[in-house]
Amino acid sequence: MSDFRAIRAKIAAMESAGRPDVGVLSFGEAALDDRLPGGGLPLGRWHEIVGLGLEAETAAAPAAFAALTAAPLAKTGEAVWVLRRDDLWAPGLAGLGFPAERLIQVCARDEAEALSVMEDALATVGVTCVFGEVEAVDLTAGRRLQLACEKQGSTGFVIRRRPYGGAAKAEGGSAAATRWRVGAAPSDPPAGEFGLGAPRFRVDLERCRGGRTGAWILEADQAYNWEAADVAHPLRLVADLGDRELAPAQHRQAA
Amino acid sequence: MRGEGALALIETVRQVRRLAAVDEKAAALGLSAGQKATDAMALVPELVTAEAEPEADAQALAALIDWCVRFSPAVAADGPDGLFLDISGVAHLWGGEAELMDDFRARLAANGLTFRLAIADTPGAAWALAHFGRDGSIAPPGGQAELLKPLPPSALRLEPQAAAQIARLGLRRLEQIIGMPRAPFGRRFGGQALERLDQALGRAAEALSFRRPPTPWMARLAFLEPISTPDDMARVTTDVTAKLCARLEAQDHGARRFEIAFHRGDGRALPLTIGLSLAGRDAKRISRLFHPKLATVDPGFGIECVTICAYDVEPVSGRQVRIEAGLAPSVEDGLSPLVDRLANRLGPGRVWRAAPVESHVPELAVGRTAPLGAPVSEAQPWDRETPRPVRLFRQPEPLEQVFALLPDDPPRQFQWRGRLHQVRRAEGPERIGEEWWKRDINDVSVGAIRDYYRVEDQAGTRFWLFRAGLYGDEPPRWWLHGLFA
Repeated sequence: MSDFRAIRAKIAAMESAGRPDVGVLSFGEAALDDRLPGGGLPLGRWHEIVGLGLEAETAAAPAAFAALTAAPLAKTGEAVWVLRRDDLWAPGLAGLGFPAERLIQVCARDEAEALSVMEDALATVGVTCVFGEVEAVDLTAGRRLQLACEKQGSTGFVIRRRPYGGAAKAEGGSAAATRWRVGAAPSDPPAGEFGLGAPRFRVDLERCRGGRTGAWILEADQAYNWEAADVAHPLRLVADLGDRELAPAQHRQAA
Repeated sequence: MRGEGALALIETVRQVRRLAAVDEKAAALGLSAGQKATDAMALVPELVTAEAEPEADAQALAALIDWCVRFSPAVAADGPDGLFLDISGVAHLWGGEAELMDDFRARLAANGLTFRLAIADTPGAAWALAHFGRDGSIAPPGGQAELLKPLPPSALRLEPQAAAQIARLGLRRLEQIIGMPRAPFGRRFGGQALERLDQALGRAAEALSFRRPPTPWMARLAFLEPISTPDDMARVTTDVTAKLCARLEAQDHGARRFEIAFHRGDGRALPLTIGLSLAGRDAKRISRLFHPKLATVDPGFGIECVTICAYDVEPVSGRQVRIEAGLAPSVEDGLSPLVDRLANRLGPGRVWRAAPVESHVPELAVGRTAPLGAPVSEAQPWDRETPRPVRLFRQPEPLEQVFALLPDDPPRQFQWRGRLHQVRRAEGPERIGEEWWKRDINDVSVGAIRDYYRVEDQAGTRFWLFRAGLYGDEPPRWWLHGLFA
């Protein structure tokens, strides 16, 4: 067993050659953190967030998930959000606890421009996280994003979205550190309360370099709350759905 | 033929075709501007006529003014056919006023223009000398009165009545007027005549409306040989920017806007503009912002001269080389160059920061401010307690097959983008009225009231939809305005 660990450490060292060690962002939930390399979302890398079903066009839940995940990062620096369709609404982000006043929004004219703006922003001093809504990232573009991330140790979130509809591109290989598939999940308000509960997400960690995959239901329990408790991470675990291999057929159908 | 080659331009004034301008030959035959075209044709049947194009003339004058910026940044148009060039403080670049005028004359003549030039202390005197004096006269400082004396009174740019009055009294030369007592002169010919006289003699100031705001922050580079290769253009851009930025640096100033103009051999000036989010003077950075735009400049047969002007200049305190550099990144290091790069590449409207606006109408509640350096908004921040969607559609999208059990009840199902959604949970209504106080009282109606509901469908997707208007004779319309997380 110890040999196995030593080999893994060796591989990890080889993989991270020349990359600044900027640490990880812990979710504060052991169930998630254990699956991720180093005990949290690797920083200084870029992550891919894919929508479930209808979300491929609107990408509301992936955007919210990305904003919630990165909220602790955005509080320590500037954030840049690269859009192709400018329908991101700052009051919604503010309600989730994301520091919307620190966010610079950029509307790119096409896919290539969106990717190059992301790259430019990732390599900038003082920018801690960059969100980009793009259709697909091929291997070359992904590698370029990775190099940009390594310059200053900032973290990229690629939200896969076809903002104007159209056919999906074939999914190829990816240079992303992780790939998440995110959709909305029915909320569960406390008994006796009317209306909707705190936003819930169905989150599948589909790929994870140096870690393991998993599927969970997460809840943003501090959303729409002015006196939000100062917690390490705004996402709470509600249910562990186990390995995604248990229900792969359903995903294909939904996507 | 007597009238061979005589040319006149014709315009239509109140359904009458009149001559707008005549050339020298036509003038020699007794034709003049303002004459009826039929009369002129009767007098000189061979007269060649063409339609007057005042707009094209104005455009050509504007182009000429643009070109004149190579001599001085302060150029003012004068009527339809003249221009003032403020050469205070620039003549020495040519070695003197006479040399400047020679260069100006040679370049204008190379473009095939007919023109008259004069230099004087005041715009009024220069105008008088250029129109009525010897072409190319240069009034020595303070000596314009001597040169003005033999000119006719109309050299003062007078109103027609005043000019006619002066002529009727037999005053033919300005020397007769210059010595007159001021009060009777002003009473007799009007205050405007007195003012014009004072302006010509430098006793009163005259405001010229310069086509460009004159900025003292200007630098230029002229070349012995015209340049045209992209490498050369990039290099001269860097050089001229460095020249201007060195001056800005020496005086502890920075600018937010830089305009570079490439002056081509054929007289056209090709401008490029870049803006900065924070006032700056880093030549390397500024010229790098120009470089991607250089491809749009067509050098033609070569660029003779390049000028750069800085606008929105403000004092910028000198920055010490940071000892603690690397501890905390400063805005100047990273963010401001990034914002400048993006804004100049994508266009200014495409990079912004959302700022709260005090309005309860959702689409008005977010304003866009400059990403950096914007004043802190006085408006209340958005209420974080009220759930608001992450995505707000610019145009609400219509919903079909909406069923609500009761008025004011949230819908039980709706169809959006061809898909049917069953509502499992709902919140609402949140009634949002229009801002009726901003409109005419007669336009205010309940039809503009929106009742917003926050609903969740069977899959967990959360929508923000609204019913426009109240229940009445017609079924109300339902719209989807946004999507929640």
